[in-house]
Amino acid sequence: MSLSLPTADAVIGGDRRAAGRLITAAEAGLPGAEALVRDLYRAGGKGRIIGITGPPGAGKSTMVDRLVEILRGQGQRVAVLAVDPSSPLTGGAVLGDRVRMSGHAADGGVLIRSMAARGALGGLAHATGDAITVIDAMGFDVIIVETVGVGQSEVDILAHADVVVLLQTAHGGDGIQAVKAGILEVADIIAVNKAETPGTDRMIRALTQMVAHRTPTLEGWETPVLATEATVGRGVDAIIDAIDAFYACHSDHPQEARRRQRAQASARILALAQAVLRRRIRALAQPDVDGLLDDVVARRTDPYQAAAMLFPPD
Amino acid sequence: MMVEEHLLETSRTVRCLLGMLGTDVHSKGIRTLAQILRDAGIEVIYLGEHNSVPGMAQAVVDEDADIVGLSFSSAAYLDYTRQFIEAMRERGVGDVPVMIGGLIHPDDHAPLTDMGVAGIFGPGSTTSAIIDFVLTRGGAPR
Repeated sequence: MSLSLPTADAVIGGDRRAAGRLITAAEAGLPGAEALVRDLYRAGGKGRIIGITGPPGAGKSTMVDRLVEILRGQGQRVAVLAVDPSSPLTGGAVLGDRVRMSGHAADGGVLIRSMAARGALGGLAHATGDAITVIDAMGFDVIIVETVGVGQSEVDILAHADVVVLLQTAHGGDGIQAVKAGILEVADIIAVNKAETPGTDRMIRALTQMVAHRTPTLEGWETPVLATEATVGRGVDAIIDAIDAFYACHSDHPQEARRRQRAQASARILALAQAVLRRRIRALAQPDVDGLLDDVVARRTDPYQAAAMLFPPD
Repeated sequence: MMVEEHLLETSRTVRCLLGMLGTDVHSKGIRTLAQILRDAGIEVIYLGEHNSVPGMAQAVVDEDADIVGLSFSSAAYLDYTRQFIEAMRERGVGDVPVMIGGLIHPDDHAPLTDMGVAGIFGPGSTTSAIIDFVLTRGGAPR
C-alpha cells in the first residue's frame, strides 16, 4: 500500500506524483485519502468533464486520442481517465487504453490515468469520482472520462460528466435497438464511428429518428447524430463543436443545468452511501464468513437467512 | 462472484506497467505476459510497443505504477534501460522497481543490475517466477 499520502497543496500545485498516489489511495479506500478528496472537492469544479462511452471496439480510445489532439491545439490542458474492466475471476486487468494515446505520452499538458473497474458494474470504477476530483483540483481545463465498453445499462457516466458522448457503429443493431431504454437515452451527442463501414447511413437515420421522438437530455438541446472516422480524424471537429454548443445550451438554460447537477449530486451521494453500507456489511460478515458460506453451499441454510444473520437482531 | 462484492476482504492490488521502448516490434511476449499477470490478479497498465523514454517514464508517475516491466528483442536494451531509469529518477520515481525481459544476454546481467534493474527474466524464465517477482516487489510497501 502507498503508505505516505500527499498533501492537498501538492495536488493543487499540479504535482503529478502526488495526484497519482492520491488516486491509488482513493481506489484502495484509505481513510486518509477520503479526507483529502473531500477538501479538494470543495475547492474544485472548474474543469469541463466530458464522458465518452459506447460498446467495446467502437473506437472510444482512438476518439479520445483525437479529441485530445484538437483540444491541445486550442491550448487547453487535458486529462484522460480511462476505465477498463477487471477480471471477475481474479480481480486482475489489462488496462490498454493508453496504447491508442501514446502520441500524447510525453506532453506535459496531458495527463492520462488508467483505472480498473474493480467490480463496479456501471461502466466506471467506484473511485472514478474521486479521481475526477483529484485531477480537477490540479487545474486541468478538460477531463475526458472514457468508460469501459458498455452494453445498454451502464450509465454511471451520467453522474459525473457534464456532457455524455456516445460512440456507436453501423453494427449496433437495427431500429428496435435504437428505441430501447438505456445508454442511448442519456447521450447528449451521438457519433456513429467507423463511418467507412457499410450501413452507417442507415444507423444514422435510425438514431436521428429515435432522438427526434424522445425527451431532450437538456431542455432546448437536440442531440446531434454525427458520422465520424476517428482513425483518420474525420468528423472529430464536429464533436468538439457539438460539445461547445452543449455548454452554451447549459448557460442558456440555467435551471435545466441546475436540475442535472442536482441529479448528479444525488447519484453520487447515493453511491457513496451504498459503499459505506457495503463496507459495514463486510465488517459484520468477517467473524464467521467461512462457516456461513459453507452452510449456504451445503444448504443447511439459505442465502436469505445468511444475509439476515449478518445483522444483529434488533 | 464479483470481487468487489465478495464478503471476504481482498488484498492489495498491484499495478504493473508493461511496455516496449523504441522500434522493437515483437510484442507477442509482452502481450502474453500481460494476460498471465491479469490472471494472477494484477492490474496491468499495458503500453504496447513504440514508446518513448520520457513518455513511458511519465506514465510511471501518472499511473502510480508499483512496478515496471520492459520487454526487449533488439540489442539496444542497455542504452534504453539506462535512459529509462535515469528518466524515472528525474521524475521522482526512481524507487519503483524495474524488471526487464526478452532476449537478454547473460553477459549483460551485471551492468543491468548495476544501473538499477531489479529483475531480469531472459529466455527460459518461468511465468511463476515472474508472477512471484511482480507480487513480491510490486506489493512491497513504498
